[in-house]
Parts: sequence; structure tokens; C-alpha cells
Amino acid sequence: MAPTVDGEARVRASWPVRGIRGSGLNLARWRPGVALSFAFIAVLILAALWPHLFSSTDPNAADIQHTLEAPSAQHWFGTDQNGRDIFARLVTGARLSLLIGLAASVLALVGGSLIGVLAAQGGRLVNTVVNRLLDIFLSIPGLLLVLLLIAVLGPGVRNAIIGLAVITTPGYARVVRGEVIRIRGAVHLEAARALGWSRPQVVVRHLVPNALGPVLVLATIGVGAAIGTGSSLSFLGLGPQAPTAEWGAMLSSSRAYFTVAWWPAIFPGLAITFTVLAITVAGQFLQLRVEGRTRS
Amino acid sequence: MTVIPAAGTRNRSGLRAASARVPAAALLRRAGAAVVVLWGAVTITFAALHLIPGGIVDAIIGQSRVSPEIRAQIVKDYALDKPLYVQYAEYFGHLLRGDLGHSYNQGVPVATAIGQQAGSTFALLLGGIGFALVAAVVVAVATANRPRWIRGTAATAEIVSVAVPSFWLGILLLTVFSFQLHWFPAIGAGGLSGLVLPAIALGLAPAAMLSQVLRQGLERVLDEPFITTARARGVRSAGVLLRHALRHAVMPVITLTGWLIGAFVSGAVVIESVFSRQGLGQMTVAAIAQRDFPLVSAIVLISALVYVVVNFVVDAVYPLLDPRLRRPEAAAPRERSE
Amino acid sequence: MRTFRRSLRSRAWGVALTASVLAGLSACAGADPGDSAASGTTTPVSGGTLTFAVNTDGSCLDPHQSPADVDGLFARPIVDSLVSLSADGSLHPWLATEWSVSADQLTYSFTLRGDVTFSDGEKLDGAAVKANLDHIVNPATKSQLAAGTIATYNGTTVVDATHIQVHFKAPNSAFLPTLASAYLGIEAPQTLTKAPADLCTHIVGSGPFVSADGYSKGKGIEYARNDAYNWAPQTAQHSGAAYLSRLSIRIVPEDASRYGALTSGQLDAIASVPPVNVAQLKKTPGFQVQSAAAPGGNYNYYPNTVKGVFADVNVRKAFREGIDWQTIVDKLYFGQFQPAKGPISPATVGYDKSIEAAYAYNAEDAGKLLDAAGWTGRDSAGYRTKDGKRLTVVHPFLKAYAREQRDTLADQIQAAAKLIGIEVVDTNPDIGTFFANLGTGAYDLIDFSWQRSSPDSLRTLFGTENLPKGGFGTNAAGVSDPAIDKDFLDALATTDLVKQGALYGDAQHRVTDAVAVFPVYVFNYLLGSSSKVQGVTFEPQAFPTFYDAWKRP
Repeated sequence: MAPTVDGEARVRASWPVRGIRGSGLNLARWRPGVALSFAFIAVLILAALWPHLFSSTDPNAADIQHTLEAPSAQHWFGTDQNGRDIFARLVTGARLSLLIGLAASVLALVGGSLIGVLAAQGGRLVNTVVNRLLDIFLSIPGLLLVLLLIAVLGPGVRNAIIGLAVITTPGYARVVRGEVIRIRGAVHLEAARALGWSRPQVVVRHLVPNALGPVLVLATIGVGAAIGTGSSLSFLGLGPQAPTAEWGAMLSSSRAYFTVAWWPAIFPGLAITFTVLAITVAGQFLQLRVEGRTRS
Repeated sequence: MTVIPAAGTRNRSGLRAASARVPAAALLRRAGAAVVVLWGAVTITFAALHLIPGGIVDAIIGQSRVSPEIRAQIVKDYALDKPLYVQYAEYFGHLLRGDLGHSYNQGVPVATAIGQQAGSTFALLLGGIGFALVAAVVVAVATANRPRWIRGTAATAEIVSVAVPSFWLGILLLTVFSFQLHWFPAIGAGGLSGLVLPAIALGLAPAAMLSQVLRQGLERVLDEPFITTARARGVRSAGVLLRHALRHAVMPVITLTGWLIGAFVSGAVVIESVFSRQGLGQMTVAAIAQRDFPLVSAIVLISALVYVVVNFVVDAVYPLLDPRLRRPEAAAPRERSE
Repeated sequence: MRTFRRSLRSRAWGVALTASVLAGLSACAGADPGDSAASGTTTPVSGGTLTFAVNTDGSCLDPHQSPADVDGLFARPIVDSLVSLSADGSLHPWLATEWSVSADQLTYSFTLRGDVTFSDGEKLDGAAVKANLDHIVNPATKSQLAAGTIATYNGTTVVDATHIQVHFKAPNSAFLPTLASAYLGIEAPQTLTKAPADLCTHIVGSGPFVSADGYSKGKGIEYARNDAYNWAPQTAQHSGAAYLSRLSIRIVPEDASRYGALTSGQLDAIASVPPVNVAQLKKTPGFQVQSAAAPGGNYNYYPNTVKGVFADVNVRKAFREGIDWQTIVDKLYFGQFQPAKGPISPATVGYDKSIEAAYAYNAEDAGKLLDAAGWTGRDSAGYRTKDGKRLTVVHPFLKAYAREQRDTLADQIQAAAKLIGIEVVDTNPDIGTFFANLGTGAYDLIDFSWQRSSPDSLRTLFGTENLPKGGFGTNAAGVSDPAIDKDFLDALATTDLVKQGALYGDAQHRVTDAVAVFPVYVFNYLLGSSSKVQGVTFEPQAFPTFYDAWKRP
């Protein structure tokens, strides 16, 4: 608890997912919650890699005679307006959701880290230019920017990933830049410089690894957020195209039937919620672990 | 939409880089930075909408078959035959004179088009932000420093609220409370009752986020000596919370303002679609699809302006609320590199 | 042009199709009988406000400019037409009391009513009609539909205040039915001098309603009754002023919300009841469903008969017989949808019922046809092959513009084709690529609907002059048959409906024999309303009209 609300604290406080840190109590400290979250993520990864472990039904097999059937022993989560098995589609959709979340976060992390290090180490002019550029991107609301990008690039999985990466990159860049500036002043770096290490050596051997730890944890939570945002893009019809099984798209296409059949809308919604929840809790848990280590 | 932790560290931005110790120079620098941001945002929009394959005239005509004469007339009317740099320069020329231009698709001045939709979106944003603030303060005050199970329950509810996709929440709320129970109108009518469900769907995730930050701040402040002193002097617990602690706990919330505005604006686009509300969000989605450059550009310009102004206000308000920040040595000590 | 745009772009009338599959064959179907008994009074009551919601937004209120169906609906209460068309294709007086056509079919003479005033006080006279027709063809108007329907217009002569002659460069027997539509509606002449953009929000006519605030995007449009109205068409149920004192049309694209707003009493009536909810709504006390089948080209799939796998008539026939189109349509639209059994809708004047038998499901025969065509091999995925090549049909499908669950339908057709060993690949090109593909013939299958109140839509769909030559063209099947073209030309040159019927019937048989179309469903307007709402009628093109509508208190 810093006695003054300095710039760094403001950075941390204004990073929403970090705000939970240190609140003294959250799901990340509740062991069964953490265990459940990791278990759920493990199941998701299994489903993404080997969907047939969970369902042998073809997720795109339309069956006009069995549309909108309620959950049963044969179709655990019922069938959709095409007579397709919703459980099979959810299982298949896991791969896409994880792909979108991971790929967007990795892209943003790499891009943000490069920009952040550049801004921190590149001198006054570079810093000002980068800052202005980040401001320009931050000044356009995230979804608006994604819509513009998708208008240029066209809808689809790849372009949704690019769009999500672009809007999250400035956040990572700012955090990396802050971390680098913070670590730069640290004692062991002074020592390294005194030992005559070159500037690139210092950057590569000390700055990057030290700055990256907290940012990586942040990115874990960012994966969850990206999955959520990605699903809202699909909901707006700008994500993967039908008949691809994607959770947000499944939800969107089921809206029209909600008054007569609840299952096509409920299960994908639960899938998104649980996924984002599990990844967030797991990320917070990692965060506590990392910070505990840094402190001790 | 799920809240993106994108705009996280806005206040680290150059917009507040200038030192508060030289007000005039600082103001000038800020104004310069603001102009650069606005120019950049509009330029990105211009580039994006002119990069779209197919050309603007095709988007205006749509899929109807028109004669070459009519096509030529459209090209002439919107000056689409001029080189791009001329269109770009002319657009900025008009902008400097305060002229936002005509919407390609609606055929009315951009200011009119936005004016017609702004009220509805403004009401939604106000409702969402109001709900988020009230809910966050109530939950945080009611649960800060309380027994473990109360805080645990609140924390769980908060983290679940952040994870629930807002469009799904909106659909569930609509189905249960409008279609089934008929408590609220099914389509975005004027009046407060039509605002309740959209405001909740829009504000729930930010409310949960704020409540976490607020409780964290409260609990930190409650441990500080001046609170203990106040308690020792016999100030009641609730009074302490509200009068002393909240003022300090609200600090991190203020730094979140800029990010929150962005999250609310993004969220409004989806919520308007779910609740069939007319508004800027729906109009923007349509305008982007139709490559209605003057309209999209004006909306981007307004968003960027709000961003600039909010950051300015936050930085101006911050020291007023926290006297400690007025001590020069404490003011952003790590900003030296700028 | 209008309906092509409708099928591709505007989500027009949404998810609707016919309610009463058999009874609803005529263009004007009544209210569902289930609830009419519940109605108390049957004598129309004057006054009240009717709130109606449509599922798609318009683009421009001026019908001379806009091609959108919904804009025609928005403009109809404000503008009258010279003539009125009834469901059987016959024409009736409206602003014109009588008319005649010259022997060479190039000159139409009209006698106008002398007692009509526009709501801004101007009088309807010959000069006003001339101003309207000239306005439509003026390039500055940027008309996207109306000008195209009178492309051979050659000017109007004003003989005197109540007599005019409209000249054409070529015979056009479709002129009078077109003239009856809102797109050629008559606006107050002084307002036509305004900038086209201004007319997009405000128009002034002589119709039963006026709109002071005009149309605003996203919001819709509000009307008030024109108390001076006394020139209703003969096809209307009453004369004099409208019953409703106010009419409000709102735009609610989301099906579930529109339906919910109706059932919760927030709206009096909605367009496009989602088919999944039709049965539910009919069972709900206090509500009713009206339906009207639209005339013109059905929602059809068209094979590319010129090149690719569908150049072989046996393969086309196998595709027609091997897919159970009717069951797909019945199941997907919950029986609210009439499966199409011909290129044009049964609601079209000149529909030939005798072709229906050719559109029957017969998977066994389809297999034999494919064998005969040489597609005898099978690959590992189960698709038929010939010389090692898979039997693949490329279907450029614009998913972003799909309405009425056509994307779901496409998935079903894909699945059904797989059962007979045909692979359908639905590409999802951007709109530019789509039209490029259309122009170069780089497709095997194309889908769209073409609603129009005249059987002349057959010429649009199968006439040689509408082949997609290097660009946009509605004859996507690539039919070029001199006998069919002769049918169309002869039909355009006669105003005799019986002769026209025989000619268009012959064309329908020839198109069916050539397997140039896979009919899917008949577009049907499904209007749901509170049973307090009475007297809503449909104009021939299946738009609801509100002149005769009234609300039980």
C-alpha cells in the first residue's frame, strides 16, 4: 500500500482486471473455485484438441425432421433450428473461442511489448510519438475500431483476431512501458550498468524478463476478455461465418426461437460465461502467486 | 459486450504529461496533443473507409441497378471523382469551418442525423452509468470490511457479472421481464420504464468492476490512521465509511472514468441492437456497413473529443480530491522520462 | 431491380410466409377466422391511433427515388396513384377516371379527376402529373427503381387541366400496373422542385394521411388523417376520410422484440410475424394473423444452365427431384410457408397451375438421372464422381444479406443434396465478387426472389435481354429460348389479360421443361395484430394498407 497515489498506482488501479488484486478476498483465494476453474480450462483444451473425446456427432449435420428438440438422452443439450446437436456444436466451438482469445492476446502482447519497450527505451521523441499514436487508437471506442477494421478486412475468424488484437495492444503497451520504467530504476540494473553491460544486454537480459512476468499474467486474464468480446463480434455477425459452430453466432441465430425453445440460447451463453469466468479466476490465481513471489 | 481491458492505462498517457507547475505552457501542450489525437482519429477513419474494397459509390447505390447517368450524378454530388488527397483536404477544410458534411446515405446534414439519434443514446449511457455507479457504491459500502462470507459472496457475484456477456444478459432480461412478465416495454420506447433493462444490461459488468475497485479502496483507507482517529473520536462506522473513506476510495474509480466511457460506448452499440433501441450505436454500425464516411467520421470525432475532455477533467479533478497529490514531490514521480 | 435488391439487401419483409397455406392463395387473405368471432362491433369506428412496426428500415421516403419495399409502404398513405390495381390484375379508376391506349401501344391518354387537392393546397391537374413523371426520369432524382419501370418514357403532353397523354418509345403493357404502385405515386408538384435529399424525409401528396414530421431513419414515421380526403380508389372498402386519426409506423428489426412488443400490447400490429411464433400467436386470445402471398418470382434457386455441371439437363433434373424442397420448407417455416411449385407465385395473375406436378420429390429417379449423366463413382466422402471428379455445385451465397432464415435454408439444401451425392459449396463472397461471379458465369447456383405484381417478372427472370452479360442480370439461369422470348414480346404488346395468360402459361411450361428453376417458397406477408385492429387490407404487391383500417375501442 503506497502512501501516495503515484503514477504507478494509478496505472495499476486503472487496469480493470488488476483492480481485484489485493482486495483481500476473491475467487482466486478460494481453493475449490481455483480448482474448478483449472479443471474447466483443462476440459476446454481437451475439447479444442480432441473434440471427438466428448461428442462423436457431426456438429454440422442438419436434420430437418428433428429441429428444436428439447434436451434428451440422445441430444444432451437439444437440437437447434437446423436439427443440429447443440452439445456437439458447443464442443466444436470451444476450439474457435480459445483460438480467438489466445491468438488475439498473443498478438496484442507481442505488439504491445515491442511498442512499450520502444517507448520506454527510445528517448523523448520516440516516447512522445508512440504516446500520441496510442492515444489516437485509445480515443476511438474499442468496438467502433473493430467494426472499422472488419469493414476493411471483411468478417471472419482471422480478421476478428486482428481486430481484437489491435484494440488491446495499446493497453499492453502502456503497462509494459510502465513496468520497464519501474524496473529500470531497480537496484540490480544499476549494478549491471556499473558492471559495464551494454544497453541492449540490459534490455534483453533484465528488463524484458522482469517486465514480462506481470504482463503475461495480465494476458491470461486478457484471453478471457478477448473470448467475451470475440463472442459479441460474432453476435453482431462479424465473426466466423455460418455454419461454423461458434458460441456467439449460435446465440445470435437462436434469438428468434427463444420464446419457443430456450436451449439453443441458454447453453452457448453458459459456455461463454463459464469460460470467461474460469480464465479470469485462473489468471487472478497466477497473479497472486507471481506477486507473492516477487514480494518474498 | 465483455469489457476489454484495453484502455487500461489511459492516464499514463501524454495527455497528462505536462507538468502542472507551468499552467500556461502545460495547457498549450495539452491542446496540441488533443488536436493531434483528433486529427489522427479522423485520419484513421478516412483511410479505413476508403480502403474498403468496392468503392463508396457502389455502397451508396447498393444492389439496385441504376443507369450510368444516375451513377455519374451520385459521384458528382459527393465529389467522389476527385483524387483522394483532394477529398481528404476538402473534408478537413470543411471540418475547420465547423461543417461536418452531409451523410451519404441519409441525405441529411451529419449534425442533423446525429442530433436525431443522440438523445436516445445519451439516455442509455446515462442510465447505464447511473446504474453502475449506484450499484457499485451500495455494494462496496455494504460489503467492505464485513465478515468473510459476505465479501466472498459479493466477490463471486462481481466476477460472475463481469464474465456474463452483456448481449446474452440483455436477451435473458428481455425475455423474462418484457416478453413473459410484461413488466417493461419490449422495444425501446421513450420514458424511464424502457430504459431499465438496457441500463442494467449495459451497466452490470462495469458496476461489478467498480464495486471491486471501490471496496478495495475502502478497505485500504479504513486501515489508515486518520480513520482510526476518527473512530476514536466516536464517529459512527457508517459515517466514517461515507464521509471519510469513500472520498478517498473513489480515487481509483476516477482514474477509471476514461476507460469506462469507452466501455460504455462500445457496450451501447450491442445493447441498442439487443433492445431494438434507435441510437448512435445502431446508426454507426449501419453507417460503417454503408461506408457513410462523413457520418462515421463525425462519430469518431465526437468519441475522440469525449476521450480528450474526460482525460483532461480527470487530471484536473484528481489533485482537488486528494490533497496529497498537491505535494509536488509526490506528483507522478515516475513521469520524469516524458 | 426492386425485388432483387429486396432479396439481397433490404431485409424487407423478414421471416414471413403464408399462414393459411391453401386458403391464402389469393393475394388478399382475410383475418384468421379463429378470432373474428370474438370481435364485438363490425361497424367501423372513426378515430384512434394504430401503432405498427416493420422489420426493416427504409432509405428514402420519396418513392420516386427509393427502390425499397418498406419505402413504398411508408409513402403509400401519403401519395395516391392514377389507377388502382386489384388482386385479379384488373385496373380501376383512382386519380384518373378513365384512360385509353393507342393502337400502337405508344400513347396512353388519361382523364383526371378535377376535384383533387394536395395537402399543401395545390390542385391536381395535368401539369402536376407531367411534373411527377418528369421528376421520376430526371437523372438528378437518382431514381433507383421508378425510372427503370418506365425506361422507354418519351414525355407527357398536357392537353388541358384534366387531360394528358403519356408517350413511350416502345410498347409496355406493364405500364398501367406499375402506375398503380406507390413508386409512381403522385406528389405535390411544388415540392418536386426541392432537393432530392429533402424529399427523402418529407413528401406531400393527396393521400388519406399526411406526415408533418416526415420519415426519420431508425425511428419510422407518424401520420395524421387528411380530413379533406374524398377520392379513394374504387378498390377501397369505403370512401371519404380514413378511419384512423393517427397512424404510427416504427422500425423494429429484431424478430423476438417485435413479436414481444405485439404480445405485450406495446404495438397494435407487426409485419413479419416470425414463422416459429405464428401458431402460438393464433392461439393467443386477442390476437390474429393475416397473410398475403406476394406475386412475382418466388424465392427460387436458379441453376447456371450455360456452363458447369448444371449445363447437363439430367443433373439439373436430379437436383430438382432429389431434394425434398417441400418438406424442408414446411419444417423450417413451421408450415407457415407455402412451398413453391413453379417459377412464379400462385398469387401472380397468369400463374399456370398445370406445371406443379413437375416439381415432385423423387429421390430414386434422381439417382437414375445422375447415373445416366455419368456420375456413377463415389468418393470417400460419399459424393458422386465422374472421371475421378466430384460432383460439386458452387453456390455464391450472400449470407450478410440473408433474411427469412435463408441461411438456415441453404444449410438444409446443402445437407439434402449430400444425400443424393451432390456437394453444394456455399461461398460467402463480398458483394463486389458476387456480381463479378454473376457477370462471368462463375457459379452453378444462385438464389433470389423477385416480387412484382405482374407476370412480366417471367421476362425479367428468363428473357434473353436480361442475361447477365458481363455484369448484373436477372436471367441467372441463362435461358435463351426464342420461343420463350416470343411469348414475352407478344404479351407486352397486348393488354388482353386472357391472351397474356396463355402466353405466360406457355413460358412457364417451357421454363419447367428446361429445368431452369428450383422453386423454393412463395413469399408471404404475415401480419400479426391485436384483434382490435380491423380492416387492414393488402395491396396487390402484398403491402398492408391502412386507409380502410380501424380500431375497436
